[in-house]
Amino acid sequence: MENRRQAADRSYNWIIHVVLIAASIVMIIPFGWMILTSFKTVTEATQIPVKIFPSHPDFSSYAKAFEKTDFKHYYLNTAFTALMKTVFPVLFSSMAAYAFARIRFPGRTLLFFVIISVMMVPNPVFYTPQYLLMSKWGLVNSVTALWICALVSPFATFMLRQFFLGISKELEEAAILDGCNPFQTFRHIMLPLVKSALVAIVIIQLLWSWNELQWPLIINSSPDKLTLSSGLATLVSMFSTNYPILMAGALMAVIPMIVLFFIFQKKFIEGVAFSAHKG
Amino acid sequence: MNSRSRYVWAYIMIAPTLLGTVLFWSWPAVYSIYLSFLKSEDFGMVNHWVGLANYEKLFKDKEFWKNLRNTLYYMILFVPLTLVFSTFFAVLLNAKIRGLSAYRVIFFLPQVTMPAAAAMVWVVLFAHDYGLINYVLGTDVAWISDTRFAMFALVIVGVWGAIGLNMLLILAGLQGIPKALYEAAEIDGAVRFRKFRYITLPLLTPTLFFTTIVLMIGATQVFDSIYLLIGKTNVALPEVRSLVYAYYQNSFVYYDQNYGAAIVDMLLVINLILTGLQFAFQKKWVTYD
Repeated sequence: MENRRQAADRSYNWIIHVVLIAASIVMIIPFGWMILTSFKTVTEATQIPVKIFPSHPDFSSYAKAFEKTDFKHYYLNTAFTALMKTVFPVLFSSMAAYAFARIRFPGRTLLFFVIISVMMVPNPVFYTPQYLLMSKWGLVNSVTALWICALVSPFATFMLRQFFLGISKELEEAAILDGCNPFQTFRHIMLPLVKSALVAIVIIQLLWSWNELQWPLIINSSPDKLTLSSGLATLVSMFSTNYPILMAGALMAVIPMIVLFFIFQKKFIEGVAFSAHKG
Repeated sequence: MNSRSRYVWAYIMIAPTLLGTVLFWSWPAVYSIYLSFLKSEDFGMVNHWVGLANYEKLFKDKEFWKNLRNTLYYMILFVPLTLVFSTFFAVLLNAKIRGLSAYRVIFFLPQVTMPAAAAMVWVVLFAHDYGLINYVLGTDVAWISDTRFAMFALVIVGVWGAIGLNMLLILAGLQGIPKALYEAAEIDGAVRFRKFRYITLPLLTPTLFFTTIVLMIGATQVFDSIYLLIGKTNVALPEVRSLVYAYYQNSFVYYDQNYGAAIVDMLLVINLILTGLQFAFQKKWVTYD
């Protein structure tokens, strides 16, 4: 009886692996196809019947994508925007989150509600008024416009407050008795305790910023003010069916985040899973 | 330290976030509603109050109803498919098999991939004459330019991108189910499917409900994949155009910000209803934890 059961378990495990491997192949085909197509010539890429592997790997599409569009600026703008949208929200949100979690002050509940209420609003609702604001400040078509509205993050404030609430008060009380002011307590005692939450926030901000399409598309149109996302849209309109160039561009745009993901797998998965609970 | 100077510190520490939020997020949200009651001329230099005129136009506009229908249709296809696949793979991964972390990384890869870039490679895969999908399946379908199939292509891309994260959330839910329950069921001689049906599924409902709402909210805002997979010149665009795409087109291609604001405010209403549902049912399930 026991042996039959073990044998059944083993064959069940075997079936699971077959199913998961098949599914994994389907999941990564788009990446494989992106790489293979980028090394093909245009003729090979649009050949009938389909040619899976290029006969002579052709690397020229990368250079072409780089030269014929402003790819260098796409990279710089995307990286700089991601940096700004990570550093400032983490700095401001952690301070505010600590104050909301641990200091009792008049208006605390109301002000916290003011901040988190915008989390219920879908992003496109903000875009037209933000555009009008940028236009008033003369920032349409500027790198600054890519990040300035995201200097603060209600979402990060909300998540970090939850973390501060979960920390015991004893350490903090000792610091207060020693004469630390609230900022010193926050900086030296509390902030180090939420390090893992800060890492998660950094990863989410980085990833969202890197991959964002709609706002960069709306706010900037000069070629040197685009990001990778909105730059790819330009690439598509320039090279409609020149698939090798399009795929070279797409690959260059996704590589940095994929490399970071491979290096910090666990942190990425934790960070993104954590962000899903924002509702 | 007296409490007054603690207040001062608190206000200083919340000031950047509070001021930034009000200026860049709260005010725009309110202004977006205000805009929908105006008619602007000369790029917003002159505004007239027109009351509900934009909404009257919206409700009479066949295209709006079509776009709303498209958005809901996308949601009805995308959400259940994502849930079924994510639950299926989560259950498989929960069987204590080897290579869990490798599978997890592979399934998660689309999640870190820029949606614009992903949509571009799907265009190549879905291509009619020389696409890999028609070649492998032996079909002859113009996936993204045939009005009958464009929605399915869009849903496939969406599901592909969403399985990884939702599978992990459901897997976390599965791991929270006490092992003792399964052991008890085994003593009673329950088979695998019955264990899933009578233990796993009921105890997983809070997780599934949560993921459903998050997926629904995400589905109402579909834009990136339409913009790059379907494209603005595609004849199938009217069959997949979402509310957000219509908002973008009206506000920033046709420069009718006020009509665009009316469209996006309908999206706001839909999202508030979904968030409301989430809060209402979350309370109901607190006892389960």
